[in-house]
Amino acid sequence: MPVLEIENLVSGYSPHKPIVKDITFSVDDGEFVGIVGPNGSGKTTLLRSIVGLVAINSGSIKISEHKLEHLDKRELARRVAFVPQMMEPINGFTVRDLVMLGRTPYFERFSFDSNDDRDAVNWAIAELKIDNLIERQVTELSGGEFQRVAIARALAQEPRLLLLDEPISHLDIRYQVKLCKLLRQLRSHRSIIATFHDLNMAARFCSKLILLKNGELIAAGKPFDVVTPENIWRAYRIKVTIKKNSDKQRSKYVLLP
Amino acid sequence: MKTRLILILSLCLLLAIGLALFIGATSLSFNHPAFLQVRLPRVLLSALVGLLLAISGVILQGVLRNPLADPYILGISAGGGVGAALSMVLGAQFVVFGISSIPLSAFFFSLTAVYVVYRLSQVAGRTSPETLILAGVALSAFCSAILALIIKISGNLEAVYFWLLGSLSSANWVNVITTLPYALAGIIIAYYFSKELNALLLGEEMAATLGVEIEKVQLVLIGTASLMTAAAVSVSGLIGFVGLIIPHWIRLMVGPNHRYLIPLSALSGMLLMVVADMLARVILAPLAMEIPVGVVMALFGAPFFLYLLRRRRLEGK
Repeated sequence: MPVLEIENLVSGYSPHKPIVKDITFSVDDGEFVGIVGPNGSGKTTLLRSIVGLVAINSGSIKISEHKLEHLDKRELARRVAFVPQMMEPINGFTVRDLVMLGRTPYFERFSFDSNDDRDAVNWAIAELKIDNLIERQVTELSGGEFQRVAIARALAQEPRLLLLDEPISHLDIRYQVKLCKLLRQLRSHRSIIATFHDLNMAARFCSKLILLKNGELIAAGKPFDVVTPENIWRAYRIKVTIKKNSDKQRSKYVLLP
Repeated sequence: MKTRLILILSLCLLLAIGLALFIGATSLSFNHPAFLQVRLPRVLLSALVGLLLAISGVILQGVLRNPLADPYILGISAGGGVGAALSMVLGAQFVVFGISSIPLSAFFFSLTAVYVVYRLSQVAGRTSPETLILAGVALSAFCSAILALIIKISGNLEAVYFWLLGSLSSANWVNVITTLPYALAGIIIAYYFSKELNALLLGEEMAATLGVEIEKVQLVLIGTASLMTAAAVSVSGLIGFVGLIIPHWIRLMVGPNHRYLIPLSALSGMLLMVVADMLARVILAPLAMEIPVGVVMALFGAPFFLYLLRRRRLEGK
């Protein structure tokens, strides 16, 4: 059963000027999907549409076979979690406090954190390997550390689907690889969709790629089938050649001089 | 740490109430008629007003996501003052289901004031903290002028003094009893939404992705803060800075988690107002004069506000 089904989606911030145009794709359990495309191609808007932050003009989004508009906010928040590109660290919060905010869709009024809440938070902290940070103030963390804390907060929602907007853009290459490996491990529990600027990183770590241009879908499928000289020319107007690794599962582009 | 702080503040509050009961222009013993009829209700009312103003400050700062928000600075108090004065002067005083018309009229005008300030400060769908403050200051000045005008026309200069400077000198048991339900309801509603307020620390959009119904929560909470301010203004006039100082001070000690921020702010708000009103009664007692408590608060609060503004600038926020 697909976790996410998107059919003929048209969405944007104004009904007259759609940003995402007629996009159809689905995401199965355990997939790690990368959304790629040039600046302004609608990657972030597509991601934000799935979590209900952007109005749907036409078409449909289904989360585990429920239409997005039929899910109430709390139900949606228990199924889909979103990590934005930038998040303000909260002054005076420890890492644990921040991760605990991920339990908001489960809280009961007038009650303290339940055992479930604590278990979920501890689990998310262990998954992101940030045990050593839990008592630190979030304002004191490095960019790479804070990014992992932000993802742990989303994981504490125990979502079926985890959405990340350019999770590696602000990280140095060592952290980029580290984080992508972590994300790849996470998908044994859930599906992940992330936007990327770096096509090679996306091709290396994702199980599926979606290539957008001007809000339209150019190609979708295995990285091997999406990262081709023709597709990259159509999306970015640059000429590249492709190197394939030995098992022909992965490919990366190299700029032509 | 947090539970201990609650305990310490509770003890301080009891101590302050004890002191305030027995310190004054004249020292009153238990069985003195003025003790029961004047001193006791006044001390209790000062505590209630402190709670109302501190919690509405916590709510406004949380919902508007603006650390400088405060019912006085945003003009909500002055708006409420106009409402209360109108209701009194026009003689439109009635009681519906045990609720007096004065706080209701104040509530309506407070709500209007919040709405106007919020809309005025919105530029292209966004509000900057500084624009919000400027809009509040302007509206506050405007409402204060109208308030002074209303009372001047009605011919009671003493009342202008009372309303604009904020005073608890007219405290009586009726005031205490009509104010109590607003204080109780207000703090319960604020606490009821404490987890939403925490989620809002991440911003409106992130709170929405955590399942918070943003519009509903904002509507209920801003309404609650306005009602609490209105209830305070109806019995004590315009007292500023309580809602600003208290939440800041508590946040410095225990962080911004509303689960602690709300009860601790309530306790400290009560403590601050009990002490401030005691000072207001005592400082000029040798000259047989009383300072309005709003003056005491402004003397301490205004420099504190400037300090906050400056620190924000230095931090580059």
